[in-house]
Amino acid sequence: MSIMEYNGGSVIAMVGKNCVAIASDLRLGVQSLGIASNFQKIFPVTDRIFVGLPGLATDVTTLHEQFRYRVNMYTIKEEREIEPETFAALVSSTLYERRFGPYFIEPVIAGMQRTPSGSYKPFIAATDLIGCLNFAKDFVVAGTASDKLFGVAEGLWEEDLGPEDLFETISQTMLNAVDRDTNSGWGVVVHLLTKDKVITRTLKGRMD
Amino acid sequence: MFLTRSEYDRGVNTFSPEGRLFQVEYAIEAIKLGSTTVGVSTTEGVVLGVEKRVQSPLLESSSIEKIMEIDKHLGCAMSGLIADARTMIDHARVTSQNHAFTYDERIKVESVTQAVCDLALRFGESVHDEEAMMSRPFGVALLIAGVDEKGPQLFHTDPSGTFVRYDAKAVGSGSEAAQSELQDKWHKQMTLKEANILTLRVLKQVMEEKLDHHNVQLAQVTADKGFEILDEVRLKALIDDM
Amino acid sequence: MPDGSYAHPQQRQFNPYTENGGTILAIAGADFTVIAGDTRQSEGYSIQTRYAPKVFRLTDRAVLAVNGFAADGNMFVKKVKQRLEWYRHAHAKDMPLRAIARLIQTMLYAQRFFPYYVYNILGGIEEDGSGAVYSFDPVGSYEREACRAAGAAQSLVQPFLDNQIYFKNQQLPPGQTRPLHLSLSDVLSIVIDSFTSATERHIEVGDGLEIYVVLAKGRGPQGLEAVRGAQELTTNAEGDRVFIVRRELKKD
Repeated sequence: MSIMEYNGGSVIAMVGKNCVAIASDLRLGVQSLGIASNFQKIFPVTDRIFVGLPGLATDVTTLHEQFRYRVNMYTIKEEREIEPETFAALVSSTLYERRFGPYFIEPVIAGMQRTPSGSYKPFIAATDLIGCLNFAKDFVVAGTASDKLFGVAEGLWEEDLGPEDLFETISQTMLNAVDRDTNSGWGVVVHLLTKDKVITRTLKGRMD
Repeated sequence: MFLTRSEYDRGVNTFSPEGRLFQVEYAIEAIKLGSTTVGVSTTEGVVLGVEKRVQSPLLESSSIEKIMEIDKHLGCAMSGLIADARTMIDHARVTSQNHAFTYDERIKVESVTQAVCDLALRFGESVHDEEAMMSRPFGVALLIAGVDEKGPQLFHTDPSGTFVRYDAKAVGSGSEAAQSELQDKWHKQMTLKEANILTLRVLKQVMEEKLDHHNVQLAQVTADKGFEILDEVRLKALIDDM
Repeated sequence: MPDGSYAHPQQRQFNPYTENGGTILAIAGADFTVIAGDTRQSEGYSIQTRYAPKVFRLTDRAVLAVNGFAADGNMFVKKVKQRLEWYRHAHAKDMPLRAIARLIQTMLYAQRFFPYYVYNILGGIEEDGSGAVYSFDPVGSYEREACRAAGAAQSLVQPFLDNQIYFKNQQLPPGQTRPLHLSLSDVLSIVIDSFTSATERHIEVGDGLEIYVVLAKGRGPQGLEAVRGAQELTTNAEGDRVFIVRRELKKD
């Protein structure tokens, strides 16, 4: 039995045209036993950043608190909001601190990054449980349904999807992937970020 | 000098100098002593009919079994040594069930006939140091009726393991008269009912006793209902219609 | 033992199985079936060959895809073909698809305690002219389905097929209906997309793609004539027809 699969759960993030989306399932379980269908794994970091924390549930809470603490310290010291890329580095170094006794979480980061010209560009990243960063241009996945997510996303995703098309793509990817995973599912939540707003939608999925 | 027949009819595996297997020929003769059995094939199905010789008034005629089911879509009528037919029908049933188990489909009438005939030639076969399983040829002829993807069919097998398909066939003691009658009366457009009545008429002609529902048995194989032995009510009705 | 003596008990083991990667897939239409497989064969991180077929024509109406342990797979196909030949001799006809499916079950279950380490997908045309896919586990449990993926990238491809073939998680606007069956060209696109996706994300999938198409007797070519490089393998033009289409996949 792998600790990474003890509680189940999956997260995916996707890039679109001037937008980005992140989605997760809502299940909390203990191996095959379902415990809750409202377990949030994605958390807002700033108005423009979300982080998804699939993995061991106890570490979801702990790391969420840890990131909140560190982001607050950053905001106070720097007197500015943290950028997605910087936050990704913070996630990475936080995890690597525990190189030989890691948190059993593989974070996924999605945000709108401010450019020098003042506009925003979509940003996604994922790391493994010790903080090795992966900056992908298309999509990143993590969790117990990661292989399924890879398969569906690779088939459905295209470049330069507008916000509504991106929403449809990430939703279909998530729903169909978790339906083939025993340890993920029980509902899906999607966050869609554009330069000026965040849309959060909870999707009805199979409850088995 | 050629030896006489009597010296070549001992071993079942020995050809006579003229190239004959006397035991097989005698077995074929044995069938001619059996009760008359008739089979008639039509496009609607196949009919089988047998004469049940009731030798004693104390004999329970319903205990004479000369028509048997091989599978849902296969029936068999026999003439000759009925006990031998049991072995053959057992084999046919196993073959048919095995086919359904392995291939999830009904075995063809010809295939099951072939399987029975393969068995018919197994007499005198033995492995080194072991007794042969069967010591002599079967003394029985079968009429195997069935419906498969090729439609209703009737096959005749004899103790030599030869099988032939017939539109209509009679075997047993009255077979010669019966066969010529069938040849006269059988036609392609025959209905199942006509076939039933023809079967009864042919049997009536060759039977010594007066035909009634105690001394004949009828069965039919159709695409919808498969093999069925006609019950007393249906048999009586047909006899009345004759 | 370090001292090289036989003073201590020793244990040796032989593992008779290997996993050779690759992926297979089949989709049934109303009157056609598509059966496909990649051609890479690997052992661990090494590629043994870039062309090892996993999909085989059995008859004009049946195609078998075999995935898992290649040695077992090849031997299994050989034995199935032998049984089909025997059946032809005994019953004077080609074995129908559902009979082949049942035969494969009995052949697999016969090895219940030393199984053929293979996942089989059988595709073709039923006696009634409908397209059919049968999928098996290594010991013969089987089911008729409309589509199935198996092998190394099953977990990548199957949920994609659920979405694109069964339209899972897709709702139509009220009043609109979906066609009951997909067209051959749609199915071919989905098959090729599935394999390019699997090749992209799975190291054991790639090199080449072989797609078999079985068309029901008397049905038109359904746009197959427009498919680049489609080659006919049919032996008897009166009955159902078999075609093969080959495509390259990435080799990295």
